Amino acid sequence: MDDLKLLRDLGAELEHQPPPTLVRQRERILRARPRRRWSPWWAAGLVAVATSVAVAVPTVLVGDRSVSTPPAPAAPVDVSGARNVLVIGSDTRKGDGNAKYGPHSQDHGQRSDTIMIINLPADRGKATAVGVPRDSMVKIPRCGSDPARTSMINSAYNSGGAACLRATLEKLTGLRLHHTVEVDFTGFKGMVDALGGVTVEVPRPVDDRASKLRLPAGRHTLDGERALGYVRLRHYGDGSDTARMKRQAVVVKAMLTKARRIVGQPAQLRAFLAEVRRWVRTDLSLEEMYELSRQLGGTTMSYVSVPWEPAPETGNRLRWKQPAADRLFDSLK
Amino acid sequence: MITQPAVRGADADLVRASWTEPEAFAELFDRYSAMLYRYVSRRLGPEPAEDLVGETFLVAFSRRKSYDLAYQDARPWLFGILTKLVSRHHRSEAARYRALLRAPVDADVESPADRVAAGVSAQALRAELAGALATLSAKDRDVLLLIAWGDLTYEETAQALGIPVGTVRSRLNRGRRKVRAALGDMEEE
Repeated sequence: MDDLKLLRDLGAELEHQPPPTLVRQRERILRARPRRRWSPWWAAGLVAVATSVAVAVPTVLVGDRSVSTPPAPAAPVDVSGARNVLVIGSDTRKGDGNAKYGPHSQDHGQRSDTIMIINLPADRGKATAVGVPRDSMVKIPRCGSDPARTSMINSAYNSGGAACLRATLEKLTGLRLHHTVEVDFTGFKGMVDALGGVTVEVPRPVDDRASKLRLPAGRHTLDGERALGYVRLRHYGDGSDTARMKRQAVVVKAMLTKARRIVGQPAQLRAFLAEVRRWVRTDLSLEEMYELSRQLGGTTMSYVSVPWEPAPETGNRLRWKQPAADRLFDSLK
Repeated sequence: MITQPAVRGADADLVRASWTEPEAFAELFDRYSAMLYRYVSRRLGPEPAEDLVGETFLVAFSRRKSYDLAYQDARPWLFGILTKLVSRHHRSEAARYRALLRAPVDADVESPADRVAAGVSAQALRAELAGALATLSAKDRDVLLLIAWGDLTYEETAQALGIPVGTVRSRLNRGRRKVRAALGDMEEE
């Protein structure tokens, strides 16, 4: 008896016909398309990292130790009261070592890949991070030489930089955005390196051609470059997005663990934050970051997204869902 | 399985078109999603199949610019991506085959027509076949099933897995030997 024939028969017996719902997967490609274009792998990781820079790292670093007296700041700073911080993960690939992560994108300038508003209420009890979908169609006010227009929100950043994005969002949300923090590829690597690497448990061996990352299974301390490769892996584990996001969360958690271990002293916190500042672009001074991080010792963080719906006239874009979006921002005032 | 190459326009033309017009990629989905679904439903069952087909096309879409346009037929490329995704489920795949060892003969058959098509012999020998599949190494199983269930040629299998044709032959031979051995054992008993 022909074994291949028997196998084919078995296959026919095990086979299922595609259900009508399979077409959903087709929509998934089309829906994912514009976002994919604007949203490489690291968006989710960046949200976490950027947030951890802006809020969580200082929170963990200071934590219970906020009782210890910090060295007197050079100049007194006031960061009390409600604060809103605009966090921008940009995929600028110009200059300093970013180019090799995306040679195709060099001509396109910077793109805001992740946009978040972090709301810190006056009592610093519960912080809220509001994710803004990048492909939201919004009214963008006049910025510099660019006229006012209705366009995707990240075009405000692409052409007008952080200042324009900030002005756009202030107008849209009615919130005052006190500070901006921008992070990019190099920033992620730099922060990992500033921590002296992160230690993660690698469940299965890694051999990834795309990121040139090779790791046997087990515990590893990864430098910035390899940590970046690790969170970028696409075809690893079950290959799903959720698995990748989990990996990113593991790396961020490892960063926090490492941060907690190496920074036990206000002086060292200051030194670490100084290092972090090298890797992010922000209008927050070192003293302000320090003060802010001291105040955030007991703060908990929740994540929400601006309520959105498909924008019918533009196909793949989104628009903010009203009145839900306004209600969300009103609740933060 | 329906594995006929598409009628109008080579796959490579579609992939090429999708470089500038991403919408063109959806046409590839229309051509091959059902075929890939059937294939993966054989290996992993219907539950994960839908999502894996979607993932396959998402991965393919993200890599469309590195597609080698010299290959007119995109099936090996898609099967290659799908095979990698399937390999993340190797435990549940093996468990599925092992379950067939225990299952009553009619359990998985969808309709009487399928049953007739499947033939009695495969049904009768199902436990042995499934047992053999469960014990094959992942590499041998990928080759054997791409050929037996995916209807790929040796060359297409080599292309899908990125291995030389000689390796395809040796893995296929090893896989078939094990299947035959399992069937032989049964006959002796």
